[in-house]
Amino acid sequence: MKTIMELRADLDNKKVTSEELFKEANKKAHEYQDEYNSFVTIIDEYKKNESDSLINGIPYSLKDNISTKGILTTSSSNILKDYIPVYDATVYKKLKNAGAVLVGKTVLDELAMGGTGTTANTGIVKNPWDKTRQIGGSSAGSAASVALGITPFSIASDTGDSIRKPAAFGGVVGFKPTYGRISRYGLFAFASSLDHVGCLTRCVEDCAIVTDILKGKDERDMTSLPDDGVKYHDMLKNDIKGKKLFYIKEITDKELYKDASEETKKVLDKFKETIDKCKELGFIVEEVSIDEKLLKAIYPSYMTISCAEATSNNSNLTGIIFGPRGEGNTINDIMFDARTKGFSELIKRRFILGSYILLKENQERLFKNAQRLRRIIVNKMNDLFKEYDAMILPTSGGVAPKFDSDIDRMSDRYLILENHMAIGNFGGYPSITIPNGFVDDMPIGINITGPQFMDGEVLNIAYKIEEHLGFKGLGKE
Amino acid sequence: MVTIDDLKDYASRLMFDMDSEGYERTLKEFETVEKHMALIGEIDGIEEIEPMTFPYEIYHASLRSDEAMDCLSVEDVLANSKEVENNQVKVPKVVDR
Repeated sequence: MKTIMELRADLDNKKVTSEELFKEANKKAHEYQDEYNSFVTIIDEYKKNESDSLINGIPYSLKDNISTKGILTTSSSNILKDYIPVYDATVYKKLKNAGAVLVGKTVLDELAMGGTGTTANTGIVKNPWDKTRQIGGSSAGSAASVALGITPFSIASDTGDSIRKPAAFGGVVGFKPTYGRISRYGLFAFASSLDHVGCLTRCVEDCAIVTDILKGKDERDMTSLPDDGVKYHDMLKNDIKGKKLFYIKEITDKELYKDASEETKKVLDKFKETIDKCKELGFIVEEVSIDEKLLKAIYPSYMTISCAEATSNNSNLTGIIFGPRGEGNTINDIMFDARTKGFSELIKRRFILGSYILLKENQERLFKNAQRLRRIIVNKMNDLFKEYDAMILPTSGGVAPKFDSDIDRMSDRYLILENHMAIGNFGGYPSITIPNGFVDDMPIGINITGPQFMDGEVLNIAYKIEEHLGFKGLGKE
Repeated sequence: MVTIDDLKDYASRLMFDMDSEGYERTLKEFETVEKHMALIGEIDGIEEIEPMTFPYEIYHASLRSDEAMDCLSVEDVLANSKEVENNQVKVPKVVDR
């Protein structure tokens, strides 16, 4: 699969037409569907606007929790299985105006609440590198569509690591910019204070191109940021010599993990090799220490905040104004029945947790303490970002898990190594995952996270590391 | 200690129900949840910290110009509803008389 810039050159040199690119993408989408299940909806009609943008005529996919007028948008849940939006999300409108061509709506973990790609109402998404493994989630279909070379980019959402984790497991690039950089209008809300829109691509340059098009103030999203007036694509040429990176000892030191598997040790060794390569490039890289207790509390705090916010955000799913209508003699009975039938057990368990957290007697002990932990982490990170340009960490403690694998949810590996990327959502930091080679023939990733509003700098740092590591354009097709 | 009846109460507050196996699994999951929650409580002096509800403090308030924005038509609003009557969403009678 070619990158956006390679396809741009082919289009400009008349080697190929946009319609031909669309037809090829459409053909691949259908061919791979039974095997990998990337899509909820595959678009068969070629439709585009004219534009002089860099993505004019380029095919892409869109996560199925982003509103597209007239096109089924289900959030991979039975409660929205027949919902056809009557308005466009701002990102979709911008992509249409930029001349990009929609190939399909991608499968996600139901309502974006999950990290495995196994909980959609239309079935599991398989990893293109090994069909016995997960691709991760929640942006499972988006990662698969890019990794399989169906589309060069996909637009998705990230509340805890939903873009950056599946990107790592799929051997592609995943970027979420600063909170508010891209409008959330038309994104089905999961946890509003943590939700971001971002992209998955085959290289860092494509993330910069796409984010340049999507960013900016949106009058329909009061949390959107004013445009910062710079082109991230232009910033990729900036010199990085002397830029300072840090990694966290308590996340990356394999000696600290009791009974670490061989796989985890290899991932952490590979990470240290990459740190050496960063130093060769001219980065100053230092190890910092953060209290392990704080790191272990990140995941519980993330679950607390996100489940609590989700219960409120999803209270509009009643089957009354949209969605399958429930049965009953009263309006309450109808809503009760629709929600009982419409949500899977996994979603119900998260909602029950949210309901428990928000009980008056639990709010101080659980909800507010999680929000307090969030502040402690963000303050700590903001202090570190006064001294450093970015943080660099492994995206996970292993390769994409097998479908039948299980992990001890109280283990250090689960609590620290598998869930630290929620830091990026706590502080709304620009955060990107890029491929970091292979362990046991499966791709692994590294994550680079920088200070709020410094999206261009983070992309530039990732661009230089990607160039040095040599995995630009990685994919499995 | 949370019980199955408590879980049923939490679910009904959010207007849904689950089968009995689902409640059993949720109860089991709560054992881990409680251990996870305890990890937050272990942070020294956490109660002194101001809760954080948003990723950053900067507030980019701006006034919109006082112009009408496009909004959905009645037809669009009703398009996804299963029962419609007289340009309104139809539901069972709420007030008896």
